Amino acid sequence: MKTMQRHHWTAIGFLFGALILAGIAARDFLRMRTPDLIIPSDGLSRTGLLSEYAPDLAGTNGDTPYYLYDSRNPGPTMLVLGGTHPNEPAGFIATVVMVENLRVAQGRVFVIPQACLSGFSATEPLEGYPERFSVPTSSGERIFRFGSRGANPLDHWPDPLVYLHRPSGQQLSGNETRNLNRSYPGRSDGSIMERVANGIMRLLETERVTLAFDLHEAAPEIPIINAIVVHEKARDLGGMAVLNLEFEGLQYALEISPQNFRGLSHREWGDGHAVLPILMETSNPIQGRLRGPTDVVLILRGVDIRYQTALEVGRMRISYDAEGESLAKRVGRHLAGISAVVSAYNEMYPDSPLMLEGLPAYTELLSQGVGAFLKPPPPVQP
Amino acid sequence: MNIIIQRAAIVLLALVIIAGIAPAQGGKKFETPVLVTSAGQSADVTLVSMLFKRANLAAKPAPQAKAGDLDNVKTLVVVPGFSSKGLGAAGISREDELKRIKQLLEAAAAKKIPVLMMHIGGKPRRGQQSDDFCKMAAEAANHLIVVKQGDEDGFFSTIAKDAKKPIDVVDKIADAAKPLAALFQ
Repeated sequence: MKTMQRHHWTAIGFLFGALILAGIAARDFLRMRTPDLIIPSDGLSRTGLLSEYAPDLAGTNGDTPYYLYDSRNPGPTMLVLGGTHPNEPAGFIATVVMVENLRVAQGRVFVIPQACLSGFSATEPLEGYPERFSVPTSSGERIFRFGSRGANPLDHWPDPLVYLHRPSGQQLSGNETRNLNRSYPGRSDGSIMERVANGIMRLLETERVTLAFDLHEAAPEIPIINAIVVHEKARDLGGMAVLNLEFEGLQYALEISPQNFRGLSHREWGDGHAVLPILMETSNPIQGRLRGPTDVVLILRGVDIRYQTALEVGRMRISYDAEGESLAKRVGRHLAGISAVVSAYNEMYPDSPLMLEGLPAYTELLSQGVGAFLKPPPPVQP
Repeated sequence: MNIIIQRAAIVLLALVIIAGIAPAQGGKKFETPVLVTSAGQSADVTLVSMLFKRANLAAKPAPQAKAGDLDNVKTLVVVPGFSSKGLGAAGISREDELKRIKQLLEAAAAKKIPVLMMHIGGKPRRGQQSDDFCKMAAEAANHLIVVKQGDEDGFFSTIAKDAKKPIDVVDKIADAAKPLAALFQ
């Protein structure tokens, strides 16, 4: 009888311990749903939700905010997407820096910092990614989520064995169903990513966007990094931008979007609308297969001794800076790329230029860090 | 007096020989119109075409040029560098592309059209996938222009040195404009 009583107490102890652990895990799980703080600049005209263009998105985790900067002076309209893949933080943070600093003197700019909003609420299984990272500002730290490449499985489950892209019929691995950048042009009654893709396509059409960017990152061992990928109709624009960037000491490879690889932004945006699509890639060690400790320091500093070793023994076929690929450098490359493409666009279409102000230069980001161009967090209420 | 005449004749002869050898060693004359093609379907061909445009030199970009496109062409410019996206965009395999370049270079040689190779893509356009294209184009070229980062291992310099071909190694893509203009003067 006494033994039975001891077992009961042991069982109650284990149960209590399990409840505490479950509580901690549940708190972390739910914290991933807390929206990231983004504080727009004074140049903001209005903000809204993507469901204004695709009503089927309303109330879902795909209904992401957009920020509009309208100069009210006639000119072209530009769209910039960050966070298509929420595990590629430079694209997300580059658009946050835009939202918090941008002023538009001529034309209009739409910014969507978290294109795949659903993916910001979960991390990638088995990758050991941190759930969030913080960037120091002049007073206090700004905290941002680090998500997964695709949508949260809770928003689309289960994945099919094979992902069938519509309307092309192209077949890809089932998990690509949750990849926004395989889902264009999308459908209003499709998966959550197809509905987001459809919303972005509708925005491009309704707002008559002429120039559109999709900001990405990739592992240092992937050949397409520090690259600008363009639809064939933006070939000259991309070429001029690459030459402009070279004058600033930034090397980029120009790539043309393959016509037979469907579902990607740089292909479907250009095929479907009059827009000139540009996708940019920076080099991000935390996505690499050679990486070691996968932590916040790697996100911010981008230094990994294994990539340095690979560089020293001549195994890096592409450029990897031994000083690391810091978040400041990667954000700087994205913003410099956008500025260079806009300059090239203005050179090609001088009668209707797009005039941007307030964005930090690449050298400013390198010398002062990203935090210098983010607004400090509001003081915590006592 | 005879000695002076003899020495003057020797100097004159030497000058004639040097003047004769110099073009053979690479002072090949390049003229417009120019056909610019890719070897590996990288978009670097677009950037090279822009350099020609900025130098006011008539150049037609034809990333997938074939032997038939060489009619009335006076210079063939080959821009080597593998791009999986580019080959995907063209809808051809790497093997098809190697075959096309081989046939194009053979046709240019048969028509005595001088070949200029321009490698501007740096490290991303080198390595296992690109080097077959780079080697084929460099060996067939009369002159090489290379952005330094693509020649850090001396790949192009060695080919040029062994075959006694002239090579211009420049720091940046934009710097290639200067030797380019000089070649077409």
